[in-house]
Amino acid sequence: MATLSNNDIAQAIYLVSKDKTNAELGDINNKIIKFFARRRLLTKTKDILDRLGKIINHENGIVVVKALSALKLEEETKKELIFFLKERFKAKEIILKETLDKKLLGGIRIEIEDEIIDLTVKNKIKKLQEHLTRKI
Amino acid sequence: MSTNYIVENLKKEIDNFSAQITSEKIGHVLEVFDGIAKISGLGDIKSSEMVTFPGGETGVALNLEEDTVGVIIFDDFSKIKEGDEVHATGKILEVPVGDSIIGRVVNALGVEIDGKGVIKRDKTYPIEKVAPGVITRLSVDKPVATGIKVIDAIIPIGRGQRELIIGDRQTGKTAIAIDAILNQKGQNMICVYVSIGQKDSKLRKIQTRLEKGGAMAYTVIVSAGSSEPAPLSYIAPYTGVSIAEYFMDQGKDVLIIYDDLSKHAVAYREISLLLRRPPGREAFPGDVFYLHSRLLERACRRNQEYGGGSITALPIVETQAGDVTAYIPTNVISITDGQIFLETDLFYKGIRPAVNVGLSVSRVGSKAQIKAMKKVAGTLKLDLAQYRELEAFSQFGSDLDSATREQLERGKRAVEVLKQPQYSPMAVERQVAILYALVKGYMDDVSVDRIKEFEEGLISYTENNAKKFYKEIIETNMWSDAGEAELKKAIEEFKNNFS
Repeated sequence: MATLSNNDIAQAIYLVSKDKTNAELGDINNKIIKFFARRRLLTKTKDILDRLGKIINHENGIVVVKALSALKLEEETKKELIFFLKERFKAKEIILKETLDKKLLGGIRIEIEDEIIDLTVKNKIKKLQEHLTRKI
Repeated sequence: MSTNYIVENLKKEIDNFSAQITSEKIGHVLEVFDGIAKISGLGDIKSSEMVTFPGGETGVALNLEEDTVGVIIFDDFSKIKEGDEVHATGKILEVPVGDSIIGRVVNALGVEIDGKGVIKRDKTYPIEKVAPGVITRLSVDKPVATGIKVIDAIIPIGRGQRELIIGDRQTGKTAIAIDAILNQKGQNMICVYVSIGQKDSKLRKIQTRLEKGGAMAYTVIVSAGSSEPAPLSYIAPYTGVSIAEYFMDQGKDVLIIYDDLSKHAVAYREISLLLRRPPGREAFPGDVFYLHSRLLERACRRNQEYGGGSITALPIVETQAGDVTAYIPTNVISITDGQIFLETDLFYKGIRPAVNVGLSVSRVGSKAQIKAMKKVAGTLKLDLAQYRELEAFSQFGSDLDSATREQLERGKRAVEVLKQPQYSPMAVERQVAILYALVKGYMDDVSVDRIKEFEEGLISYTENNAKKFYKEIIETNMWSDAGEAELKKAIEEFKNNFS
């Protein structure tokens, strides 16, 4: 028997819960919890829920973006950024999660799952260092 | 160099620098152990793609799973931490190559380790490549002269052939390979010696030996020592063959030695088990045959349309207590075009090289011999096989008829002639002369313990007194009637004076 991955389980939960009323969802949730207990999956609940969140976001065209910067982003910049990201990822909605990190020195670093766009000063300096110390 | 000059140059470099804005896929280290890392993320990574870690360490993605990527690390993995960012390079693992690599010792990543300065490289070659197809190939018919009588006469190796050297430990497997390299002087051949999981002291000894024999002028050593991580041992033969392919692409003939593939299989087994791939026979993974077949298939002889050139491969496999039916030996035997089987018993009997003529075979056969050698060595293998059989009978001490006795005597002399000390390869024309004397019966009345003395004397005498014979073999690969007569006369003269 093929083993079920956490992703498969999350996908299955999404499909059974999709377009269901609140009353139906209560019943489904009970069944899911019983299934988790029976299959000893309760320790994996957090991972499965994370994956479920990703699946729901993907299906609804929501992209969660982590923006790291040295200084707080201005509203105008945020708007521009969201507009650009909506275009690039063909998303209906962008959820921007901002983090401040002084070590970045300046600029901004965008993280969308495993993709990054690094426009920070720290990264530029690192690239310059690589350029100057390369073997000729 | 003035400070101003340095500052100006730095300014110029900084002016020229422009950081490209790119989006890249990254991963994060989940766990690191025994030279293996499990990485999350890296969504678009390819199999065998190179990745880099924050400390500059490199690795290659081998296992692409649903959520994680299994990476083998080529450098010291002790500085890699959980959560470290891993970048995919988009490149399949490559090694730098160039003409100046000749005479150097490099590691499995192609980096020089002999302390003789940086090697200038022109190109990089991917370490994994699909072997040349049928259309580009030519059948093997040009010999690789190893300088070892028993091999050149009985188990000839051709350019583009794959001949396995197999035997227990301490039977002279490496010695044969090193002799073959030493004999390539002036033969228009580039040699690549790949040392896999060997002791550094052994490698140093080999390097010194090759330097002493002037062989480093056409040799490259690729080393993945036993103290280095298993991933380096795993890629070393592929690095070696990529270097060989660089020279083959220039139309050159290359001889590559993999010393040895049993250790290579063991390194691959270690990686596979750590990557949790299912173990099979002897705990080797299921694709261990493909591991060696794809490596050895890259040995070939190209036709002129595709630039000529060839790669001759001499893989070495170590057996345990002479067991050739173990997993790796049987695999490699079936992949290669023949094997040279070395035996401990023969080695301790003083028959060195300890080649078991009965079990050794070259599937290319006499096509890979010059005409003169074909003529003298034609019946030698059969004679020796018959001798071994009769030798067993003669143990009973019963009376033997004269024909049998003659065969036994000839066999004893043949065994004696085929003995050869290490590091003393013999030119093919000399081999022909000595084997001619043997098969034509000139040695039948020389006592067995004086055969070596007779051989040495005969060679120096005939070289001076049968110059035409030697010249003809060098130039035309065969003797004429006149040349043969001259040799016969010289042998008879020498025999008369030999006491």
